[in-house]
Amino acid sequence: MVQTKKARSRRRFDWLPFLLILPTALVLLVVQVYPALYTAVLSVQERQRAGWEFVGLKNFDILLSSRALGESAGHTIIFLVGYASLTLTLAFIVALLLNRKSRLSGVYITALFIPWILADIIAGVVFRLLVLPDYGLFSGILQNPALFPPRGLSVLTADAARPWFGDFPFPPSPAMIYLILAASWRALPFITLLLLAALQTVSNEVIESSRIDGASAWQTIRHITVPLILPTMVVALFNLTLGGINGVGMVFSLTGGGPGTSTTVLSYLLYSIGWGSLDFGRAAALALMLLVINLTLIAGTLRITRVQQRSG
Amino acid sequence: MQNSTESPTASPTRTFAVTRKLREGFFTNLALILITLVALLPIATTVLISFKREEDVTRKPPIIFPCDTPTSRFDLLACRWSIEGYERVALPMPEVGALLGFALKGRMLNTYLPNTVLYAVSTALIVMVLASMSGYAFSRYRFRGHDALMIAIIAITGVPLLTNLLALYQMGASIRHMAEGIYNDRVFIIFVYCGFYLPMSVWIAKGFFDAIPRELEEAALIDGCSPLQGLGRIIMPLAAPGLTAIFLLAFVGVWNEFIAGYLLITKNELKPAMFGMYDFLGQNIINAQVVAAACIIIALPMIVVFLVARNSFFRAMVEGAIKG
Repeated sequence: MVQTKKARSRRRFDWLPFLLILPTALVLLVVQVYPALYTAVLSVQERQRAGWEFVGLKNFDILLSSRALGESAGHTIIFLVGYASLTLTLAFIVALLLNRKSRLSGVYITALFIPWILADIIAGVVFRLLVLPDYGLFSGILQNPALFPPRGLSVLTADAARPWFGDFPFPPSPAMIYLILAASWRALPFITLLLLAALQTVSNEVIESSRIDGASAWQTIRHITVPLILPTMVVALFNLTLGGINGVGMVFSLTGGGPGTSTTVLSYLLYSIGWGSLDFGRAAALALMLLVINLTLIAGTLRITRVQQRSG
Repeated sequence: MQNSTESPTASPTRTFAVTRKLREGFFTNLALILITLVALLPIATTVLISFKREEDVTRKPPIIFPCDTPTSRFDLLACRWSIEGYERVALPMPEVGALLGFALKGRMLNTYLPNTVLYAVSTALIVMVLASMSGYAFSRYRFRGHDALMIAIIAITGVPLLTNLLALYQMGASIRHMAEGIYNDRVFIIFVYCGFYLPMSVWIAKGFFDAIPRELEEAALIDGCSPLQGLGRIIMPLAAPGLTAIFLLAFVGVWNEFIAGYLLITKNELKPAMFGMYDFLGQNIINAQVVAAACIIIALPMIVVFLVARNSFFRAMVEGAIKG
């Protein structure tokens, strides 16, 4: 039976799998591969009255020497570090709690997941309503001068402090900190689920034997649990970084890149160069840089998951 | 003798362990309840705001419940709940011959949300069909280029919609220019969404097909089914939960997508609900109750879908995230 099958497949080329994949491949070529390549073409051109004109690396040159790029890169780095570390820490704590298998675990997971189902633009609006100047529910507390001297804190309009290290936009503006909180709130459920799935593969015996050997709860987590789920944590970290670099909806609805440019991250800068100043060539140059960062991160994730699958 | 000495020492430790466990369980639950409440707080406040009146939304200092009277801070009987926000989103206007005697004139309900439903359903259906075809091929056949194609598809998940928008925008503009009569914003955006959700869905589909034993199909082939009949009658019913999950993920993804719908669709009347939301935000700077009501109207269907089908979501997400 096996031999006849083999013989048949050697005789006749089987077209079926290729036919099944063909529609997917076509859609992906048109909507993903071609635009990615076309972005590279756009990035070395400039729009003139008569049409597009080849300008070499001029777009990259202008972009890389512009103040806006350096500043937005700084904002992006601050956002990513804050967002990823906050989300990962909170998700790990929540996942550890959920892994204790309370009878209500299912209820908690379902309730905790509701923020994830909201669109990023809606989540931004929800958080914006909380701190609207004067009228937001939290504004009453935050704008109280007794709590936040000297004039109270208006999250959406307060300026960033003078940067400590040259031009690097640190410390971040209150709006940036708030943006990080809002973004973490929305990403938390998904990362918690990932870590919980990993925690559930850690066998109870390992944990119990370390307890019997006299390890404290903290030592068990530090030396047993974390190393065992480290690959998943790294996947989660990549996932957060990718989402953080590409996510733009929340910036749109929560801060609009402001006040000033204090929450203009690279993804929002791409939008404002492309559709604000209608400079598609320069925007394409930025898009290409972001694309390279994305592909590098995906390659990193793949390596890790591959290693994980091989060892697991 | 041994038994009698052991049992008195054993039982206190056991009761101690039990009480410790109970206490731990109590604190775990307490912590989780607190976390859940904090996580749901922003949503709860939005619901609250959406049922307030304009004069209660613009109070200084802000109040949580619109229930204060000149004499007391909170009086349940004095609560001024209102659906003004929802009315201003829906804009019901009297109309002869309409169902219930009035028609909803708000653009959110008569234009943007129907657009979103159309885009989300069509994308999810197309993605489900195409992803199951290629997921099946990748799961069941070994052919030349199998691994290379699989890796290419994962690599494509690394191409974000954001960086492709410029090129897609230019593509849309030139197709519109070249074929004015044929070009259609709706078809274009659905196509873009399909391309965006396919790579991840192919991976998820492959995972679900991998979990279905091959022997079932082989038995069907021996019994005289053609490969396509085997696919339709044996595999598809078994893969149905996986396909549902793919449908739901794409559906929610498109429903919630903002920037492509905003930038790639040229005509305002073809734009989706998330654009409507953004537009609303610009128009109602003071009227938080209207904005909040619009948020609830757009988000509620997704919350319901999620609550009904949550297990599908969880399975597909873990599958997609760990492998893809």
